Amino acid sequence: MAEIRKPRALATQAAGKAGRFGRANLAATLRAKEEGKKVAYAYINNAQDEIIRAMDIVPAWGENFAGVCSAKRDAERFLQKAESENFSRSLCTYATCTIGFDMWREELGGEMPPNTPWGGMGRPDMIIGSAQQLCDPRIKWPQATRHYLQDVPVWMGTMYYPPWDPAGDHREQEELYVKYATEELRSLVRFCEKHTGRKMDWDRLDATVELTDRTWDFFIDSYELRKTIPTPMDTGDAMNTMVPLTFNLGTQEALDFYKELYAELKEKIAHRKGVAEDEKYRLVWGAGLPSWFALGDFQYFNEKGAVFPVEVTYRNAEKIERLDLPETRDPLEHIAWRWVRLWTRWFDKARKRPGSLPKVERIIEYMEDYQCDGVVFHSAFSCRSWHAGIIQQEQVLKKVYGDVPTLIMEGDIVDISSYNEVDTRNRIDAFIETLAARKGRR
Amino acid sequence: MAEAQSGGLAAAEKHYSDYGERARGLKSSGKKIIGYLSALCPVEILTAAGVVPVRLKGNVSEAITKADAHVETMVCPFVRNVFDAALKGKYAYLDGIVLPHQCDSIDRTYDVWSYGLEFPYWHFINYPHVTDDPSIEFTREILRIFIGTLEKFTGRRITDGDLAGAVSAHNENRRAMRSLYDLRKEEVPRISGAEMMKVLVAAMSLPVDESTALIRGVTDEVKGRAPGSRAKTARIMLVGDQIDDVALVNAIEGTGAFLVMDDLSTGSKMYWADVDATPDPVQGIVDRYLKKLKFPTTFVAEGSTYSENLEARFGYLRQYLKDFKVDGTILFIYKYCDPYGFEVPAVKSFIESAGTPVLYIEDEYSTSSLGRVKTRIEAFLEMIA
Repeated sequence: MAEIRKPRALATQAAGKAGRFGRANLAATLRAKEEGKKVAYAYINNAQDEIIRAMDIVPAWGENFAGVCSAKRDAERFLQKAESENFSRSLCTYATCTIGFDMWREELGGEMPPNTPWGGMGRPDMIIGSAQQLCDPRIKWPQATRHYLQDVPVWMGTMYYPPWDPAGDHREQEELYVKYATEELRSLVRFCEKHTGRKMDWDRLDATVELTDRTWDFFIDSYELRKTIPTPMDTGDAMNTMVPLTFNLGTQEALDFYKELYAELKEKIAHRKGVAEDEKYRLVWGAGLPSWFALGDFQYFNEKGAVFPVEVTYRNAEKIERLDLPETRDPLEHIAWRWVRLWTRWFDKARKRPGSLPKVERIIEYMEDYQCDGVVFHSAFSCRSWHAGIIQQEQVLKKVYGDVPTLIMEGDIVDISSYNEVDTRNRIDAFIETLAARKGRR
Repeated sequence: MAEAQSGGLAAAEKHYSDYGERARGLKSSGKKIIGYLSALCPVEILTAAGVVPVRLKGNVSEAITKADAHVETMVCPFVRNVFDAALKGKYAYLDGIVLPHQCDSIDRTYDVWSYGLEFPYWHFINYPHVTDDPSIEFTREILRIFIGTLEKFTGRRITDGDLAGAVSAHNENRRAMRSLYDLRKEEVPRISGAEMMKVLVAAMSLPVDESTALIRGVTDEVKGRAPGSRAKTARIMLVGDQIDDVALVNAIEGTGAFLVMDDLSTGSKMYWADVDATPDPVQGIVDRYLKKLKFPTTFVAEGSTYSENLEARFGYLRQYLKDFKVDGTILFIYKYCDPYGFEVPAVKSFIESAGTPVLYIEDEYSTSSLGRVKTRIEAFLEMIA
C-alpha cells in the first residue's frame, strides 16, 4: 500500500495543475473504450506525439504511470510482480513497474489490481515503440509487455541523431538521419491507420505540428524567466511542469499551460517572490532523472538556500528559431528536423572548446545564463541511458571549465530500496558547506 | 583457401592464454590493429581495409580497479571490465577501436572510451535496431561512412573487390567453425566445452585466414581422437552475450556435464549466418548484421501472432536443442543488461516449451561469484539428471 506522506510544497500554482494533467492522461486511457477511441502504450520523447494526437489515439505513457507509482511510494508490489517472472531489479524500473502492473491486471481478467494509483492505465489496443531512440528499454519494454498482452500489435520505429565526433561535422550526416527518421514516422502513420481504421488527416497533423512548435517556444520562454534572481521556480516544480511538454505535446492544453506558467512567473518576478526565502546558491540540475519518491529532496535544498533555476532533465525543447530548421512542407520531415537538431544543438559549441562534450557545453551554457554556482547530478541505478556518462560529464566540466562544485547523488527513479534519506541529506549538507566555503572565499 | 594449422589445440591454448599475442607481433611488422566490441561489428569491412580486427575482451579474474573512476557501476560489467583492461594498457598495441551501437552500455560510454583512451582511430557504428526497409537503407549508408573513415585512416581505397574477398574469407572462417561445432553433436563429444571456448577466443584474436587455419587444425586434431566412452551425462547449451573465459565452462563441465552448444556472441552468433554475395557487397553485409543475426537489441517484427513472432526470434534455438541433443540450458545474463534481461521470460518459456529445462543466472563478468554460480549449476544438473 502507498505510504501516507505530507505532500511536497510547490512554489508555483502551475506545478500543482501539472499533476492534474498526469491524472487526466491516465483517466483518458480508462475512458477511451466508451468513447470509441484506441489506446496506445507509448514512451516519452518519441517524436511521435503529433501523429498519435492527430490520429485521435489516446496515449498511455508507461513512464507516467510508473512515475506516479513511485511518487506515491507504491511501486514495490509491481516491481515484485515483475521480479517473480525473472525480470531483474537491475533493469529499467519504469518498465518493470508497468510490466508488473500489466501481468497483475491480466491475471485479474482485465480488472485493475487493488488500489492502483490514480486508477491505473487502460489496456492498450496497440503498442508504439521507439526502438533505441532513447534507450534499450524502448525496444525491450514493448516486446516484454507483449509477452503478457499477446493479442496487442506492436510497432517499432526509431529516430537517431549523428554521433558526436569532435573532429567531424555532424551536418554532413544530418540529412541522412532526417530522411531515415521521416520514413520511420511515415511507417508509424501507416500502422496507426491500419489499427484505427482511419486515414490520417494531414491538415490536422499540420496544425498539430504547428501547435507543438508554439508549445516548445512558450515552454522555453517561460523557463527562461527562471534566470531572474531570486528564481521564481526551480527544478522541484519543473519535475511537475514538464508533464504537459512530455505527455501532452501536440494539444492546445499543453500550449495554454505554458502561457499560464509564463504569466504566473512574470507575476512572481514582479513581486520578487523566489523559491527560497533567502536564495544563496543557484545550481544546475546537470543530469539524471529524479527519484520520484524523494522529490522532497528539492525542498531540502531550498531550505538550505539552494535553488535550481535550470535543469537538463525533461528540458526536451528549444526555441524553434534557434534550431534553424530547413523549410519543408512535409510535417513528418519537420518533426524529424526538429528532434535531430535538438539533439545536435550543442555540438558546435563543444567543437570550439577542445576536450569538451556537447552535454557539458549545455551545462556550461546554463551555468552562465542562469548564474549558477554548482551542478548536481543524480545517478539512477536502473537506467543506463540517462545516467551512464555522468561521471565523465563531471570530470570534463571541471577540466574544461574550472573547479565547479559538483554533487552526484545516487538512487533510482522508482525502486525506493536504493534510497537512504539520511545518507542523501548528509551528502547534500556537505555539498552546501562546500558551496558556502566557496562563496566565503570570493 | 586457408590450410589447416597443425597442433591446433596447442595453438588455441597459446592465443587464448596470451590474448592478442599475434596482433602484437603483426603490429611490430607494420600492420594496423583495430579492436572492436560486439559480434555486431562487420569484421569483413575491417579485413577489407587491410587492418587486423581483434575482438576486445576483459579478464573475469581481474577486479575492476581503474574504470570505476570513469564509468558508473550500473553499466554492463563486461563493458566496464574491458574498459578497465584498456585503461591498464592491455590494448596499448591497438591503432584504433570500433564500437558498434549494440546497447546503451556501449552507446552511452562511447565518449568515455574515446576521451579516456588515446588511439589514432575511433569509430562508432550507429546501427539501427529495427529491420524495415528504411533501416536497411540507413544501415547501408552508415556502413559506407564507416568504410570512408577507414579509407581515410589507412590511406587506401577499399574496393568492392576487397569487400567481396573479405566476405568470402569470413564466410570460409564461419564454415570452418560450424564444422568444428558439428563434432559436438556426437554422443560423447571429442572436444570439450572448455577446449571449444579457447578456440572461440583464440579465433577472434587472429587475422581471418589464420583464424580459419587454426580452426581447421583443431578440427583435424579432434577428429583424430578416439571416440569418447563416458557414460551418458547431461548435455548443456549456454546462452548469453560475451562469455570469453573458461571459468564458467569449467564450472559446468566440472560437474560431469558436456557443454555441447551455445548461443553466445562469441560463439554461434558469430558463426551461424554467412554474408550473401551480392552485387553491392555492402548490401550482403547489411543483411547479415541487421537481419540474420538474432540479437536482442535488434527488433524482430515478423509473425502475425505472438507465437509466430517468438518463432521468428528464437526458432533457431529449437533447432540447436534438437541438433545438439541438449538436455538443459543455462541462461547466463550479465547484471544491468536491459537487452538480454528483458527477454528472459520469453526466451526461458520458449526453450522450456521445447521440452528443455532452463536455469537462469544473473551475474557479473567476474569469477568473484563463481562459487555461488557453481552451486546453482550443480543443483540444476542434479534436478535434470
